[in-house]
Amino acid sequence: MVKQFLKSHLGSIVAFAIVAIFVVWGYFSIQAAKSNAVTYSTEYEAPEGNVDSEDEGSYELVAQTDSLALYYNAAKGAIQVENLASGYLWKSICDDEVYELEGLNSQWAAYLQSPICISYNDLEKRDAGVKKLYGALNCNYLETEYIENGVSVTYGFLTPGIYVTIEYTLEDDQLVVRMPVDKIVEETKYALTTVELMPYFGASANEDADGNAIDGYLFYPDGSGAITTYANSGSRPSNVKVAYYYTYTNKTVSFDNLYDEDTYNRYTASMPVYGIKNGDNALFAMATEGEANTGVVVYASGYVVDLNHAGFELYTRNVYVVDMYSMSSSDSTTATGATVQRVDTNLIDEDKEVRYSFLSGDDADYSGMAATYREYLQETGQLTSVSLEAADMTLALTLLMGTTKEGMIMDEYITMTTFEQVEEILTRLKDAGVLNTETVLRAWQADYDDYEYWGPASSLGGKSGLKSLNEFVEENSSNSLYLESSFLMASSKTSGISETSDVAYDGINLEISMETFDGTNYYLLNPLKAFRRNQMLLKKLESYESYGVAYEDVGRYAYADFNVNATYTKGETVTQLQELLQATVDEERSVAVNGSNQYVLAAADYLYNLREDAYGLNVTDYAVPFVEMVVSGLIPYSTEGAGNLSYDLQTQKLKWIEYGAMPYFYLTYESALNLRDTSYDSVFSSTFDDWEETVVETYLEFAENLSCVWGRQMIDHAILSDDLIKVTYDNGTVIYINYTDEAESVDGVQVEANSYTVVEGGE
Amino acid sequence: MKKASIRKASKLITVFVLAVAILLSVPVTVSAGGTDSYVTGDDNYRLPVPESYIVTSTINNIGDYEDDTIYFKNPLDLFVDDNDYVYVVDSGNNRIVKMNSDYETVNIFYGEDCGGFKAPEGIFVDSDGDMYLADTGNSRIVHMDPDGNFVEQFTNPESDSVDTGTSFAPSKLVVSQTGYIYVVRGENIMAIDGNGEFRGYYGQTDIGYDLVEVLTRLFASEEQQKAITKRTASAYINVTLGDDGMIYATSMERTEGEIKRLNSIGTNTYRKYTTVGNTINNPITEFIEDVFESTVAANTFKFGEYFDDNGEFMEPIFADICVDSDGIVTVIERQTGHVYQYDQDGRMLVAFGGLGEKEGTFSLPAAIDVDSDGNLLILDRSNANIQVFSPTEFIQLVHQATSAYNDGDYEGSYDLWTQVLAIDENYTLAHTGIAKSYYKQEEYQLSMEESKIVDDRDTYTLAFDEWKMEVMRAHFVEIIVIALLIIVAFCFVVSFLSRKSKQVYWDFINDRKPKMSISDGLFYGYYTMLHPVNALQGISYRKQKLNMAVPFIVAAAAFAVRVAYLYIVHFPLASIELEDVNLALEAVKLFIVPVSWIPAAFMATSISGGETKVKEITFASLITLVPFIVINLPLMFLSHILSKTQDGWYGVFGAAVVVLIFIELFVGMMEMNNYTFRKTILMMLTTAFLMLVLWLVILLCYILTGRVVQFVAALISEFRLNFL
Repeated sequence: MVKQFLKSHLGSIVAFAIVAIFVVWGYFSIQAAKSNAVTYSTEYEAPEGNVDSEDEGSYELVAQTDSLALYYNAAKGAIQVENLASGYLWKSICDDEVYELEGLNSQWAAYLQSPICISYNDLEKRDAGVKKLYGALNCNYLETEYIENGVSVTYGFLTPGIYVTIEYTLEDDQLVVRMPVDKIVEETKYALTTVELMPYFGASANEDADGNAIDGYLFYPDGSGAITTYANSGSRPSNVKVAYYYTYTNKTVSFDNLYDEDTYNRYTASMPVYGIKNGDNALFAMATEGEANTGVVVYASGYVVDLNHAGFELYTRNVYVVDMYSMSSSDSTTATGATVQRVDTNLIDEDKEVRYSFLSGDDADYSGMAATYREYLQETGQLTSVSLEAADMTLALTLLMGTTKEGMIMDEYITMTTFEQVEEILTRLKDAGVLNTETVLRAWQADYDDYEYWGPASSLGGKSGLKSLNEFVEENSSNSLYLESSFLMASSKTSGISETSDVAYDGINLEISMETFDGTNYYLLNPLKAFRRNQMLLKKLESYESYGVAYEDVGRYAYADFNVNATYTKGETVTQLQELLQATVDEERSVAVNGSNQYVLAAADYLYNLREDAYGLNVTDYAVPFVEMVVSGLIPYSTEGAGNLSYDLQTQKLKWIEYGAMPYFYLTYESALNLRDTSYDSVFSSTFDDWEETVVETYLEFAENLSCVWGRQMIDHAILSDDLIKVTYDNGTVIYINYTDEAESVDGVQVEANSYTVVEGGE
Repeated sequence: MKKASIRKASKLITVFVLAVAILLSVPVTVSAGGTDSYVTGDDNYRLPVPESYIVTSTINNIGDYEDDTIYFKNPLDLFVDDNDYVYVVDSGNNRIVKMNSDYETVNIFYGEDCGGFKAPEGIFVDSDGDMYLADTGNSRIVHMDPDGNFVEQFTNPESDSVDTGTSFAPSKLVVSQTGYIYVVRGENIMAIDGNGEFRGYYGQTDIGYDLVEVLTRLFASEEQQKAITKRTASAYINVTLGDDGMIYATSMERTEGEIKRLNSIGTNTYRKYTTVGNTINNPITEFIEDVFESTVAANTFKFGEYFDDNGEFMEPIFADICVDSDGIVTVIERQTGHVYQYDQDGRMLVAFGGLGEKEGTFSLPAAIDVDSDGNLLILDRSNANIQVFSPTEFIQLVHQATSAYNDGDYEGSYDLWTQVLAIDENYTLAHTGIAKSYYKQEEYQLSMEESKIVDDRDTYTLAFDEWKMEVMRAHFVEIIVIALLIIVAFCFVVSFLSRKSKQVYWDFINDRKPKMSISDGLFYGYYTMLHPVNALQGISYRKQKLNMAVPFIVAAAAFAVRVAYLYIVHFPLASIELEDVNLALEAVKLFIVPVSWIPAAFMATSISGGETKVKEITFASLITLVPFIVINLPLMFLSHILSKTQDGWYGVFGAAVVVLIFIELFVGMMEMNNYTFRKTILMMLTTAFLMLVLWLVILLCYILTGRVVQFVAALISEFRLNFL
């Protein structure tokens, strides 16, 4: 009977069961969400505001050191810093002396006079967008506490009920501005996401009050460093755009954002710094605590107001904007639907600290800024010097070992350089007089295209090949070999990766991944997994003692991971990556790092692929070797431009010299023709036989002319004219670089067209 | 129905298929981003090349000049004259800005003495410095002397014989040495002489003959005919005058090619689109190729790229074109911001640019011109600026090499191409160039090797044919002997097969064997090819004894032969690069007719007194692949003494396969069901119709499943977003 009933109604029973399961699941999900949800006190009553917007107040001295004096205006919550050496007064907000405030609309007038601005989101209404408030307009509560060497100011934005405390103190020659996280108070459902810190600190027009042009520029961490000069403001386009730079990795982490070189370079700051030069005085700011969650915003003159200004943004929460429409159609190009904001419930638990240095005279330029940053990093142990065993010019090489080519039935492995051929290349170079090399072996694993970190490809010689090359390096210690691996990326074909628990998740609880045509998924990995993968590689390498490890992505990407198994804030990821590198250092293995994110500098023995250019926004006037100046003489480095892939080797050589980089070639033993239709097709010309002569010639030229600056610190870089550069080293050697097609004479030195002249210093 | 709506229908299907592809969510990885230089060959694959142009200056405003507005506003055209003066049609400000070669403003024209300009769109400056401005808003062309003084104006010319229309909105124009003004007007370029007289339409594309159109004109009712608008050629977009006196133009015309070089009588002498024949060619595979346009069309040359940076299909719109003194053509694509450069023969030299915020990219490119130093000036309408791109040494070498070859200096071009290869080992045109130089120097084998590296089938064919002749002359006797031996062996094999298959047939008919063995089945298939009537009658006569493993073995063998063919066929005759082969697609192309024939034929025959069952139909339908095997097997080896020159009669074999398959299906339908000839034709048509229905149903299911999958996926992700 029952059986018959079941038989006849099986379909509806199954359907009912499925619906029931959905309903139950939905119910529990909702319950779970409710229990997780934060409840907000509705009892918050805004206290009486104590700010009188009419009150101009006055600046009073609150702290003083040998070189600086800090003034504070209690009515406005604003500060001024006087550089006692030069008498220059740095103002945190604009007054009429800086800019004619009348005629601006109230919002912009307020912006110009705001010591801080905040942005917040509504935690309950997720389709409500981000809101921005200006200190001068919306901060109606100020509380001042005088602390040692400075002042602590609480800015209260009463309407959303957000209170932010900023401490301004002087420490020797620096202004230290801190934002302690435990002093951020949020009374309601409004959640603080961003604090824009002193956006107009040091803001300057292109001309002073008398109409004289100010020799100044904004310096910001675009690529190797970039400047926007005040003098060039006349040739800007009508639509000046704001430039944003996010420390270490773009703010919104998506696979595309990281993987696409163009987007990556557009938004990534490898060092959290910026600077402003106003005539003979300069300000240099560096984020020194909680820096992973900061960004630099640069406004060149012409963006609404004719003021050049820049500042830090401090991020207190991760915000993810989800396009609902694109979620359901997977076609973002036509997205017009609603967006919802997913904001962290809790504040990122880290204090923020920004240090401002004030430079004057000859130091008031980006070279001085680089020196300041370098000094700070060295003092705090974040930048250590690599002892250069041999003081000889070094050649940087990347050898592409092999790759796979898609075939009709099976993929074909393409051997480009075997381990034996590496030995042959190095021997031939050595016989020709190349004394030192730093060599990165790329794609030596059997399945490198799938981000495997181990397993030398059998076609390259397998483990025995790796072994015999190991012996060769032991005998020839002037050749450093690094095995390149990726630890932050994986594909669904990578062995030993769980596609759910080992991968990184973004704030909306989706894997950070990308699917390709053939259905392979690519993932970002959880930092803990990355650490473990590195440990495993180190273990596998135990019997191959002489190899260093080259990190393809550790020095480029740092991101927050919401993986429930091991949650990481961006700052924690940075720490984890530092530990990862330290583990390699502890094994007494050399570390080569691709990229220059500041957190790798303590461990790196060799930096490769450093940027030698800026992104190229229309507000950028020049790229400058800031990153290179910070590390020069401490860590050997090469830049991204390979001699064999340049459209003009001579120009590339000049670039290397300008940036203090070693000559660099990206080579293969087999013909580059084999790389057509592979993922390395951008290596269009790399055959060692064809390039050997050029490589040796270039090396010998560098060894002869530039040995005097090898391993020295670049202390000054100056753009004499558009294509004429002067760099100075700490031993007094000066190099003039002329990119033009005509010979130039400068400082009594003749510099040939497309050439350089080295004037050795007396030390 | 007219051609355009046919296109629309097939487009609709394309959209459907694309929709399916999108539903199944296939984000494309595009490794090349931003402004990196690359070239694409005929297979749409972007091959990186060294940086070819670098931005040396950007003109963001006109500087201080007599208190004029310093910024451009919606600038629409740019012209560089023989003395390198730059003219910018600053449309939003109704003015022309003239700059010198240092990009300093030297003059600004408002046309005060002729009532002022109104939203002008184009300009041409002749060798004397006289300006011809398309004053679009005032419906006239204004001729000014070099100082901007009004000389004359041209309005809409009138003609007794040709309808010149009522509205006249001139935008882009050139003035030839003969003094004729050529102005873009829809699908034509209109010629006006110095007296303002209409001198005819010029360069209209031959819209060709269209069967569908003829049929519709025959059968459509008068009302329907009215609804069908006149089929017109596609519109021209822009024109420029070459130093050779030719008019270079871009258009939306996509059959012959978007870029044209028109001679004095308006004939296009530039590279034209041609399609490479496919060996399995029938209306159905053509239909499939049409649907999968973006994947299968890979083998045909196109100007620009038919997909954007995200890999989505699109049709290029070349906003402007410029030609340098060597005849090198550069165009700018409006939607993707890519700049494409072609040599005198229409081969791509380099592509660069793109949309973006950084130097060297664009927002909305509007105009391009080249100065006497080879610098490209590109005007961006939205950014209201001009970027100056200077050629690097690499691309200069390429220009010199291609020009040297064009001038007949083969040795010179050989040296230059070698220098190019020293910078870029992989540069395709350099290998082609060297291959051609070898060919001219009668180094045929070297030429073949070189052209094979870069898949240059045309040069390979030239060299191969010569080499073949050389070998023939040198070893005439041996070759004749070997050829005779092969022919004898071949005849022997053929006669053996015939005898054996005949024997198998009679054994089968006479029921001499208890069971059809697999080898017997294969011989039977061979016999069917030779004597379809007898053999197919035999199938229905002895249907109980058919070995059903045979048709599937034949099918598998046919597929194996296809795969082997792809590997073995002589390089110049290959229709598709090995790495581009999609096995699934190949299988579909091979099997779609015989396999879908089975249910369709069964359905059709079973409702109209047919006698066949699925079993015999399957057998008969799949063994039609035997001719495919029999012809392709020797053909792939034979192809090694053929080259592209013999493409035509080589294609005959492909056609033979189709004809044989059709005959077998037809005879099978007739004999196995005992239909009359007339009835068979009717049933064939019914079957074909049913096949079409079948595919549509499958397609529909596919789409709907995709929808469901997508819906569930979206539901899950919404759940995750909301509650986790």
